[in-house]
Amino acid sequence: MMSYSSKKESIPKFNIDSEIIVAKKQSIDHCRTPAYIRGKIGTIERCCGSFSNPEQIAVCNPNPFIIPLYRCRFYQKDIWLNYTGNDKDTLELEIFEHWLMQV
Amino acid sequence: MTDKILKMGPHDVGGEKSSALDTKDYGMSYWEKFSNGLRIVISAKGIITLDELRLTAERLGDNYFKMDYFSRNGQALVDACLNKELIIKSELEIKKLKVRENFSIPIIALPDTESIIHLHDGKPHTHEGTDFQEDETGEGPPNYFFDMLAIAEILSEKKLIKMDNIHSKIEQFDNEFPARGILVITKAWMDKDFREFLINDAKNAIESIGIHLETFADIICMPQTNKIHNMVVCTLCSCYPRALLGMPPSWYKSRTYRSRVVYEPRKVLEEFGTYISKSVEVKVHDSNADMRYLILPQRPKGTDGWTKDQLSKLISRDHMVGVRIPDDVV
Repeated sequence: MMSYSSKKESIPKFNIDSEIIVAKKQSIDHCRTPAYIRGKIGTIERCCGSFSNPEQIAVCNPNPFIIPLYRCRFYQKDIWLNYTGNDKDTLELEIFEHWLMQV
Repeated sequence: MTDKILKMGPHDVGGEKSSALDTKDYGMSYWEKFSNGLRIVISAKGIITLDELRLTAERLGDNYFKMDYFSRNGQALVDACLNKELIIKSELEIKKLKVRENFSIPIIALPDTESIIHLHDGKPHTHEGTDFQEDETGEGPPNYFFDMLAIAEILSEKKLIKMDNIHSKIEQFDNEFPARGILVITKAWMDKDFREFLINDAKNAIESIGIHLETFADIICMPQTNKIHNMVVCTLCSCYPRALLGMPPSWYKSRTYRSRVVYEPRKVLEEFGTYISKSVEVKVHDSNADMRYLILPQRPKGTDGWTKDQLSKLISRDHMVGVRIPDDVV
């Protein structure tokens, strides 16, 4: 599979289309997992390759973990209680593996 | 709408209630372009990483949204330079005074008012000195700019960056980057194989037509179809495919757009005059980490046999962000 990263790959834990839940936990300092998506259930759209953990780069850790990054797909109606669009409407965003759990 | 306890900080706005969107793009002043250029040169050289700059801005707390976009990013850059001891505070203050001097040119000595007698309605008329203004925009740069200029000069004296790097970034953002996205889309409209390549492997496809993207991030191209309408937002900051589209427009960086697109994309699209049928899936891409997104609009109907030049005139930045759709040609 194509990778978007030149970093040495770590083997991704999740396959395309597998169901995942985003950890519903508090983050400290900088993090790229928005609050609105925490605790929500979606599927893996693709694995983007492995990237340095932004949470560690932000605090100048010289050896950040290299972590698989996934594009995850969610139905809007599964994110927002009163979503008014189409039931088929989706939202996709990138989540690092340490924020994902199998459903 | 979002669990407040989980909120990371003032920047994490996806899902917040907000007002109607101002869809105008106010463009950028030279001061803003310079600040943007400096920030990019510093992060591209790895002197301060983008994530560090983001964290520093997020630590502004309640002040985050009290400042405009460039004041806030400017303050983050100052804080990061001081925290990392790249610059010490007294050094910065001294330099700021010095760069300010260049802008405090005294108003040109006005001519002797006695001598400025000209005719009004055929009668001689004398003006007072206070009747004259030196020029229309004599206010000079905003405060944050002096910080940016001082930092740029100090870092270049320390040989960490070159002033030229900043100037060529400004040049690229103005002239080179915005043209690239249009070129890529035109090519995809005219060449089926390239379209396929672009959708499967955008960065290499773009490289194959001689465009080298100066970006750490990767590019994903999402095609508009009759079944799916794609649009892009960055809820956490202002991630955007700059090397393909130039600077993001004012609304893309606004709190309103960043808050609302994720939970009411159709309403936001309507504010741009874009109406998507209920039978079409609206897909929002939150550009929140290491990918950047280019939306490939559908080639308008009625353009068969059109030349590259003709087609390229139909494409705008808003089509490539997915907030508007190019009109069919009737």
